[in-house]
Amino acid sequence: MEQPQEGSLTWRLSSHPITLLCFLSFRLSSLLVYLLGGLFGIDSFILIFIITILLLAADFYYLKNIAGRRLVGLRWWNESSTSNTTSSGNWVFESADPRPTNATDRRFFWLALYAQPALWVALAIVDIMTLKFVWLILVVIAMVLTGTNALAFSRCDKFSQATGIAGSVMGGGGLAGRIASGMLGRVFGGR
Amino acid sequence: MAGMMPSSATSSSNPYTQYDNDAIERDLIDPDDATLDDLDDPLQSSDRAPLTGNIQSSSSDSRNTQSYLTSSVPGEDRRAPSNTIDETVWETLSRDLLAIWEKLKQVMWPKYILGGLMQRGGGIGAEERGEAPALAEGIRGIAGRWPDADVILQGGMSEGLRDWDLWGPLLFCLLLSFFISRGTDKDDRDLAFSGIFTMVWLGEAVVTLQIKLLGGNISFFQSISIIGYTLFPLVIASLLSAIGIPFIVRIPVYLVLVAWSLAAGVSILGGSGVVRNRVGIAVYPLFVYYISLGCLCLIS
Repeated sequence: MEQPQEGSLTWRLSSHPITLLCFLSFRLSSLLVYLLGGLFGIDSFILIFIITILLLAADFYYLKNIAGRRLVGLRWWNESSTSNTTSSGNWVFESADPRPTNATDRRFFWLALYAQPALWVALAIVDIMTLKFVWLILVVIAMVLTGTNALAFSRCDKFSQATGIAGSVMGGGGLAGRIASGMLGRVFGGR
Repeated sequence: MAGMMPSSATSSSNPYTQYDNDAIERDLIDPDDATLDDLDDPLQSSDRAPLTGNIQSSSSDSRNTQSYLTSSVPGEDRRAPSNTIDETVWETLSRDLLAIWEKLKQVMWPKYILGGLMQRGGGIGAEERGEAPALAEGIRGIAGRWPDADVILQGGMSEGLRDWDLWGPLLFCLLLSFFISRGTDKDDRDLAFSGIFTMVWLGEAVVTLQIKLLGGNISFFQSISIIGYTLFPLVIASLLSAIGIPFIVRIPVYLVLVAWSLAAGVSILGGSGVVRNRVGIAVYPLFVYYISLGCLCLIS
């Protein structure tokens, strides 16, 4: 229908508009409350801190569990193993078999995913320059939360692409897929 | 592809040697002052056997495919048929809310006190000293539990606590900082809030590090999650402080609340595979942590 505009950043082209709008509003709202909290008449540091943290947590949860799966068909989690020897968690990556093909969703998703940690890093630098160390706590938490999601989803994307290619090229998915996941696990999961 | 296979094989052999070393080390480290009581007691091992068996069997269905796929790999790729990627939003939300509630329940009724009582009452202990009446038996059970804490604590963690989340720690930490900072002067309020917020998280990290260094096989975030959930009784304490109950009433109430937190934390974290006879050392920082937070509630 709107072939020339395919992939452009308008929410009308999205196949999950509600998910996309929620996702973007969660992403932006934490940043806005942090930056403009004082303008809206919230002059207390504690209130801004709490609201921003809760929005960040909601954003983290929404991106990890809902937006990632509906917009790009990816999901990750960190499963702690019950075996008695290993102690570190296990990265688990899931991908939908036909990945969602909506270019708009994909572009929005990856743009927001990577832009957010970068913005928080910039704000952290600003806070260090202006010696606002109390606010730095908040910014560091934001950096960790958004950065974790960005890292995990980029791994998850590479993981699913690599296993998909290996499976399709080698034919019988079982062995090839296992090797590919093994090597990638070494490379990307080496924690 | 073929050129990379040897490298993957050699690198995958590393974890196994590591694990073997670990297992050998565990066997080699016998406490110097080990007596017959510390060695494997048939009574106690039969006590624990159903517990460990239960954990393994309940997790084996999901673990089989994973270990087959990733015996040497810390990451896993799941394809569409057997995964959660197509579930509805409501399924996701309800599952996670249930998981949070489950963890909260585990913390609110510490296994170390209540579960231990039930186990004692119905189990081998009752048969052993069958002549004692139930109440006296229970009291003696509590009193006699402190020395052989190690035995009970080796029991391990329940399945619900294994999949961690940070919602509880986050909420409790925010509430705790908020309530305590209510009690300070208006000028110091911001500083008190951020200070307590940081202290709670750093304290959790330090306690976790201590457990890890003593050989606990618990993952970092798992431990943070559990310690965070056990802050629940201290949140009650800080709420009481914010309301402003008199100082005399505070001391006994807060002691009980700190003990509650400590019982919950010890009962869950103690079983995390710390080398035997070092549970006390592993748990001591936890004790200091709860006490210091309790004192903050007390003076605010």
